[in-house]
Amino acid sequence: MRRFPVLAALRARPVTTPAPPARTHDRASRALRGSAQLRHVDAGSCNGCEVEIAQVFSPVWDAGRFGVRLVASPRHADGLLVTGVVTRNMLTPLRRTLDAVPRPRTVIACGDCAVSGGVFAGAYGVVGAVRDAVGVDLEITGCPPHPSAIVEGLRGLTGR
Amino acid sequence: MSATAYLGGLGTAGAAALLGAILPDRRRLLGAGVLAAVGCLAALVGAGEVLVSGRSFTVHVAAVLPLAGLDLRVDALGALFIVTTAAVGLAASCYAVGYGAHARPGRTATALQPAFLATMLLVPAAASVASFLVAWELMALTSLLAVLIEHRRPETRDAAQWYGAMTHIGAAAILLGLLLLATHAGGQGFAVIASHRRQLSAPLASVVFVLVLVGFASKAGAVPLHPWLPRAHPQAPGPISALMSGAMVNMGVYGILRVGRDLLGGGELWWWLVVAALGIVSAVFGALHAAASTDLKRLLAYSTVDNVGLVLIGLGGAGALVASGHRQLGDLLELAALFHMVNHALFKGCLFLGAGAVQHATGTRDLDRLGGLARRMPATAVVFGIGALAITGLPGLNGFASEWLLLQGLLHGFGTHSAVTEAVLLGGVATVAVTGGLTATAFVKALGVGFLGQPRSGDAAGGREVAASMVVGMALLAGGCVVLGVVPGVVLPVVDRAVAVVDHVVATVPARSAPPVRSGLGLDLAPLQGAVEPALLVMGMLAGIVAAWGLLRLVPRQAELRARRRTEAWGCGREVQTARMEITATSFAEPLQRVFADVLRPDRDVEVTHAAESRYFPEAITFHQRVDDAVERAVYRPVIGTVERWGNLARRVPNGSVHRYLAFGLAALVLILVVLA
Repeated sequence: MRRFPVLAALRARPVTTPAPPARTHDRASRALRGSAQLRHVDAGSCNGCEVEIAQVFSPVWDAGRFGVRLVASPRHADGLLVTGVVTRNMLTPLRRTLDAVPRPRTVIACGDCAVSGGVFAGAYGVVGAVRDAVGVDLEITGCPPHPSAIVEGLRGLTGR
Repeated sequence: MSATAYLGGLGTAGAAALLGAILPDRRRLLGAGVLAAVGCLAALVGAGEVLVSGRSFTVHVAAVLPLAGLDLRVDALGALFIVTTAAVGLAASCYAVGYGAHARPGRTATALQPAFLATMLLVPAAASVASFLVAWELMALTSLLAVLIEHRRPETRDAAQWYGAMTHIGAAAILLGLLLLATHAGGQGFAVIASHRRQLSAPLASVVFVLVLVGFASKAGAVPLHPWLPRAHPQAPGPISALMSGAMVNMGVYGILRVGRDLLGGGELWWWLVVAALGIVSAVFGALHAAASTDLKRLLAYSTVDNVGLVLIGLGGAGALVASGHRQLGDLLELAALFHMVNHALFKGCLFLGAGAVQHATGTRDLDRLGGLARRMPATAVVFGIGALAITGLPGLNGFASEWLLLQGLLHGFGTHSAVTEAVLLGGVATVAVTGGLTATAFVKALGVGFLGQPRSGDAAGGREVAASMVVGMALLAGGCVVLGVVPGVVLPVVDRAVAVVDHVVATVPARSAPPVRSGLGLDLAPLQGAVEPALLVMGMLAGIVAAWGLLRLVPRQAELRARRRTEAWGCGREVQTARMEITATSFAEPLQRVFADVLRPDRDVEVTHAAESRYFPEAITFHQRVDDAVERAVYRPVIGTVERWGNLARRVPNGSVHRYLAFGLAALVLILVVLA
């Protein structure tokens, strides 16, 4: 069997770990009910997080299994997935995008820069971390965060 | 009574012209405007009475014209055109008071508008060849001078040159045709000519018809005799262009009807097929150019070509059907054509006055520089909007009523005639459909780019609402559009009187038995299938709006709905929304231009200036686009070029030498003697 990985994969049990306990402390998480439509906003990222987010929605990690989708318009979204430090030029667009998301809504800061400013904290043209600009509901750390970390965070959001 | 009112109106309009010429600067505009409006009102009443009662009147004034005297006869057909002209004239006279208030036009400019108006009121009443030609020529001259009011701009002079040349070629053709007719009839009164129409030989009648068709079609702006129209109409001041487009082009239609159907008695089938074919070409060509134009008034002028085309399709179809013995169907189509002409006068007058107001307020009529006027000029935007909806043919407004009638007439004409007639009728149906779509494109552009969104230039941003008298003038015509659109059935029997006047002398044509439409509020084709009640449609729409509003008010809302918040429209989070991000008239029309590149012939120049250091870095990119008139390019430019070349050759002949001139005189004398001997 070891010489035929395809057959081995067919026999194997699902590798998914059990769902984390659903977040219930805020209204947005309760309203999501197992499905989160997210609009991604790059507030000033180096694109490291974007590479990992692309992996999250690839067939390997496939966050779609857990009810997470990326959508094109904030009008369709339940929340924002923000990466990178908030730069001065992106401050207003970030606020406007959040304003366009219907309530109840959730904001996820993804990556060290988004959480704390990371290596860019205090640099020229940087306003600060995402929580300095808008309220943040969920933080995912790592520089960049491993896809499995992002998936874990999102599963906490959808509860699946 | 009706004669007194009509002649009084004519006199008052003439007095308005006189007053405009002699009153001092401050009173001039108001005096001429009010008097002209009163004159229009009187003419409207006089001619309206003729239309309603059906009794015509005749006036002969021997003292006015030497030798022949002035013969006037207002029958229902002429009265319809007088009423239309007077209605547009009334609105334009009100409007002119406010329009000129800032610019303070001179004596000539103030006097010209009432004078032009008076000549147009005179043309449909003329009842002899001499009277008609004099009135026609006066109308041509006053309108030519009116175009030249803003003569300091070179493009105005260019437009006037085109207009002058084309209108006089047309007048020459009409003169020739009518003189031929008068010579053979043995008298110059229209009644004498009409009574001699049976004795006229067929080839001669055809020659006369083709001659007058050239003349009248050039006045009506039918393709290929149209190039003056999109030049002259935009260059004239607002009220004048409304009068030219709303009233003067109708005179071409009047001429075709009066001479072709009345004086020549209907004639042959092919005449009317030619008229309908002219109409089809004009309608498609005009609608295409209107959709591609970025100059507001040029757009409206091309749309006039389009609508004249629709009227000609109706007249041509009517003539063809009557000539082949289908009186009822022919009358229906003719009614549709005349009704569309009346409607066109109302909505196009309204739109041209609106465009004049835009130009008055912003100083530009380039759609690419306008925008955001709905907030700045709300009243103008509303009346322009009504005009635009009417011309697009939406139910509830008058454009719908007449286009519906026209389509019904064309469709009912199938299955009765020769293959050629059916092909032309089919072409007419297709044309009405195509031009409907193209007109909608053109007016979505005019209204959307011109009035909605953000201003695209400082001129547009500085636009303010125009004077009350201008708004009143526009609102009069817009109100007419609404009334004729909601209850067209009230007006149709009146228009039908004009149709009934036009008789046909071919023996195979049965006499008129019944009017083609039943009287009532809506549109109801009497012996044929087809009826529509615009009033019910409008009431249904209003009821729907009220119901929707009431539902929103009455149904209790959930807590979530109550927490509604207002935010900006989602614009991808961008920080500034500038006018440069808006769609322009040019970009709106671009796909259409690409599809119809063979007809529209857009000329494009993209010039890239490079930085001195490297060709890879452009410093400036300029883009120019001009949509050329294919007919003008293919037909007129070569002719004008040839005429210029011959003219330059002829210039060498008179070189100033007296000896040479004496030799010319001798040669001419010898030639005459040789010919006479």
